[in-house]
Amino acid sequence: MSYSNIVVAVDGSDASQEALDHAVDLARQSNASLTGIFIIDTQWADFIGNDWQSAKGARQGFLDYIRKEQEEQAEAAQSQFERATQGMEQSCFSVHAGDPTEVLLAQASSENTGILVTGRRVFQVSGRPSLKSLAAILERKASRPLLLFP
Amino acid sequence: MHNESHGFFRQLPSALPGLSLIIVTMVVIRLWVEPWMAHTKVFGMEKPLTDAFHLNYILLGILCGLLYRNVIFGGKMPEIFVDGFKLSRLMIKTGIIMLGSLYTFSAIVQLGSMAIFLIGGFVIMTIIMVLWLGKLFGLDRSMTAVLANALSICGVSAAVATSPAVEAKASHVAYAIATILGFGILTMFISPFIGHELGLTDLQYGAWIGTGILNSGQVLAAALAFNPNVAPGTAVSIAEIWNIMRVISIPFAVFAVTIWYWAGKEESDSSGKKKTLGTLLVEKFPVFVIGFMVMVFFTSMGAFGDVGIKGGPPASETIKTLRLVMQWIFGFGLVGLGGFIDFKELRQAGGTPLKLGLIVGTTKYVLALVVVYLIKDYLVSI
Repeated sequence: MSYSNIVVAVDGSDASQEALDHAVDLARQSNASLTGIFIIDTQWADFIGNDWQSAKGARQGFLDYIRKEQEEQAEAAQSQFERATQGMEQSCFSVHAGDPTEVLLAQASSENTGILVTGRRVFQVSGRPSLKSLAAILERKASRPLLLFP
Repeated sequence: MHNESHGFFRQLPSALPGLSLIIVTMVVIRLWVEPWMAHTKVFGMEKPLTDAFHLNYILLGILCGLLYRNVIFGGKMPEIFVDGFKLSRLMIKTGIIMLGSLYTFSAIVQLGSMAIFLIGGFVIMTIIMVLWLGKLFGLDRSMTAVLANALSICGVSAAVATSPAVEAKASHVAYAIATILGFGILTMFISPFIGHELGLTDLQYGAWIGTGILNSGQVLAAALAFNPNVAPGTAVSIAEIWNIMRVISIPFAVFAVTIWYWAGKEESDSSGKKKTLGTLLVEKFPVFVIGFMVMVFFTSMGAFGDVGIKGGPPASETIKTLRLVMQWIFGFGLVGLGGFIDFKELRQAGGTPLKLGLIVGTTKYVLALVVVYLIKDYLVSI
């Protein structure tokens, strides 16, 4: 089966390397375009929403600190993607911001996505505990073809 | 960078839908559900919801917040309600500042000295225990530092304050927060039940939960769930003095744990990463504590009339009105806080942080009860 556009979720960790390698092979075989995506998790303010007493500076300092770590992770993901796609003409990498589960689910249900390739542990490296169930949600709800790696 | 600090008045229009939901919820609970519970009969039992389960408007409010998020809205607050629910934090801070009207300076000194003794002892014991267990379980050094402060002082607030100072990874912080919240929520619901069954006084109960419950939001909720009255000597008036002692110690604990963290790091160049105590005090000291102390000052000066201390003249009309307003404000605020508890996050907490959190949290919770029981004759009410 060939796909016109393959989307792969990349987070710069070992967990996403196998999925990325597979997506690159698939894209080369199908002569398809490959899109790598990283999602900056914007749900941290909500995650610590229960904390009513932190000083404004402490709260904002924490959110900025988390954001910085995620931006570094995004750079690592981009490097990982660029290394894997060296020599490929139809490849691009994009960074999104939002709830990783929602953004990835939107990708997995978009008409423009031929197939979504991802590791089961993707985004856990910089994520909240609920992201452990991201793969299970994709399996349940994705309307486009999906390839999941352990 | 994500910036969530908007002015109150700029935020107000977008907050109206969420605020309305919170207000309507609390009005329905207080005007209809509570009176109904007080008269209802189930399986021949008189008032089982209030007498056996000790449900009151505080616990019902939190439960409604939880239900909104986790059941009715399928795990996520709709955008339209988010800003209103965010304002619940401001409401609780306002309530705590107003709580200053329960105390005079002499009462603060009296309660504060008891609180310093208990809080100080437990903070030191907890930090030592976490550092030891962290080493035993082979936990990452920054994760151990975050857990040490979070489990010993103010739960999530302490985790938020400590994480950047010890370079904790986001995923580590997330698991620490989920563990603390999960434990806090469990103790919030069981503590009023245990307190009533053991026949604890407000003073004993307030001292116990003020010392033993990990997270500040849950200390407030558990105190009001035990006794929803807001007056000198009630559970909330005791527990919040304990809580304020914990809050004040955040910058100092962050400083101490940061020193421990960097002392054990192989990387020698920590310049620019370590902060002075002065910087930490400016960044991390919660301003509402100053508001609370200003309120205590005015109360001590008699600005609001008599506070209604046991054996003294009755509370003035101003003080009575303030207390009524506080009850409503805390009620609103806790519906909002319930809306920030996400079971998806708590369900997925696990691993070593959970194991360590449960061991330390349970030890602290039980030991605080034992210590309060042992020193009950030395605890003096206001």
